[in-house]
Amino acid sequence: MWMRLVFLKLELKRAYQRFPQMFAGAIALLFLAGAIALLAGRALYGDAAAGRIAVGVVLPKEDALAKQMISMISSLDSVKSMCDFRYVEQEEGIKELQEGTLSAVMDMPDGLIQGIMDGTNPSVRIVMPGDAWLESRIFQELTEAGARILGASQAGIYAGNELYLASGRAEQIPQLEKDLNQIFLAYSLPREDYFRHQRVSATGDVEVPVFYGISAYVLFLLLMAIPASGYLVPCRPIMRQKLTLAGAGAFIRVLGRILGLGSLFFTMSLVVGILGKALVAAATALKEGPAWMTGVARALEGARLLGRDSGGRAAMGVMSQAEAWLVLLLVCLAAAAFVVLIYQAAGTLLGGIMLLFLAVTAQHFLAGGFLPEVFLPGTLRRLVPVMPSAILMGGVRMAVTGVWSGSAAVRLLMLLAAGFLLSVCLESRREGRSL
Amino acid sequence: MLEVTSLYKSYKNHKVLENISFTAGPGECVGIVGSNGCGKTTLLSILAGAARADKGSIRFHGREAVGHQGVFNEEAAYVPQENPLMEELTVRDNLSLWYRGSRKRMEEDLETGAAAMLGIGDMLKKQVSTLSGGMKKRLSIACALFNHASVLILDEPGAALDLECKADIRNYLEGYKKQGGTILLTSHELPELSLCTVMYVLKNGGIRQIRSGLGEKELIEEFLTTP
Repeated sequence: MWMRLVFLKLELKRAYQRFPQMFAGAIALLFLAGAIALLAGRALYGDAAAGRIAVGVVLPKEDALAKQMISMISSLDSVKSMCDFRYVEQEEGIKELQEGTLSAVMDMPDGLIQGIMDGTNPSVRIVMPGDAWLESRIFQELTEAGARILGASQAGIYAGNELYLASGRAEQIPQLEKDLNQIFLAYSLPREDYFRHQRVSATGDVEVPVFYGISAYVLFLLLMAIPASGYLVPCRPIMRQKLTLAGAGAFIRVLGRILGLGSLFFTMSLVVGILGKALVAAATALKEGPAWMTGVARALEGARLLGRDSGGRAAMGVMSQAEAWLVLLLVCLAAAAFVVLIYQAAGTLLGGIMLLFLAVTAQHFLAGGFLPEVFLPGTLRRLVPVMPSAILMGGVRMAVTGVWSGSAAVRLLMLLAAGFLLSVCLESRREGRSL
Repeated sequence: MLEVTSLYKSYKNHKVLENISFTAGPGECVGIVGSNGCGKTTLLSILAGAARADKGSIRFHGREAVGHQGVFNEEAAYVPQENPLMEELTVRDNLSLWYRGSRKRMEEDLETGAAAMLGIGDMLKKQVSTLSGGMKKRLSIACALFNHASVLILDEPGAALDLECKADIRNYLEGYKKQGGTILLTSHELPELSLCTVMYVLKNGGIRQIRSGLGEKELIEEFLTTP
């Protein structure tokens, strides 16, 4: 028993000897990932990525109704959040489009509103530049969505009209349209209200930047094992033989590895936490710091792990800060179990590094870490719950939001147990071969 | 006292050891010689409990060790060819891993025990990866003996070491023998074999006693002789 404890202590010591390499690797990885993200952003979006979509609207002369409609459309939340509408003359609009100050020009036809009312639906001509791919796509999506909503509403009214005409009640059609409009609004407005309060996002219950922060942290954590590869390679046969002889079998050896790597991961997380705290403090002290700093600091302060702790449970199902850190410790141990399993399966240093990189990136994609799972094809979406990255992200999400999730905790424990037991099986097979 | 009786071992259809029997008493050094691949390492690892025999009996001071791993752990100190050391850790860490006993006793052993006699007492804080091959071998022997075993089993202890280091290890083994310890070793080197009081040739799975103190030519002749 004493020998096993000494062995576990020495495994932890061995692990911590890799900390400087891991820290240097983390800095290199951050630098590399930052450079790739910056260059990819520039290549894909150019300078327009951070800008809003400027749309020029060409109105028919003296058409107050059309102007009113545009004013109504531009005040919609979905449109307002990304588009700026500006009234322009046609020639001026085309010129600005060519100069790149406008992303699209909407040329409204005469009698647009009347056309919508009577069902002739005159087309709105939308002119887009050929090279503004991203803005064009977004604006195209917006206009198509608007046309679909309008089409559906019109279909409802026309169906009512047709029914009344068929039943010989043509004189009641104006009243019908009025009633339908009222009922339609009565149903659609509370729905609008619902979406205002219940945020519906592809990233679930966290905002997009927080989601990608969690995803990046998990990816970062798993890839951080690469600088510690020397520690993770399975024992040499002679060492395995001697340790087995002394009573430290496959179970203890794998346990030592997982504890060692898990505690390294946790220490790295603490360092990231301290850096996050420092950023929050710097942003608070600066008051009017750079926008990115204020944004990141606000997101970090909102996280249960780093934000102010009330000292206990705020409500049923809400974790304290200490509990959130305990959940993160469990995440680190589960991640370590997964990584140890990969190195056990590979068996060699180079094989381990390659397998870790391939397995981590591939399963991180399948887990919806790069693209949220709602954007994945249906067949791949079924794989998401069993992907280690998805399980780890669920745990980090729990620690960040502070909202306890029994199923996420159970999945973390299952990942830890599966990684541990499969690693023990592989280590035992090697032990059997060397005995 | 080590008593080996009718030991058998085979890998699939290949018989490596067949009806191996011999004894080794206190103060004796038993040498096992034979050509490469004849099964010397297999025999030693079975005697150390690191591998299992198919059949046979191994007794340390009358205690049956086959099927009782604890007996091997207490009675046999095994120094394999390759050094079983944690390279990233210090000499002290490696010694502490294999030590059986209290911390106080370990400190005493470091002062006066095998570690001190092997000359590693003053490099306890050094990282193993920075040691020379000879120092690593000394450390391996010290680690093996940290269980205070009475039978020291060495697999080619002088392989790839310089002359000075070989001489130091030989001197230590000489002292160990004089103190009543039992040594069992395999080697291809005559100076090391000169330590042996009893010699055996292992060939075609069988073992045969030969005269100790043989020269190179005589030994080769013994290797070639069919048992």
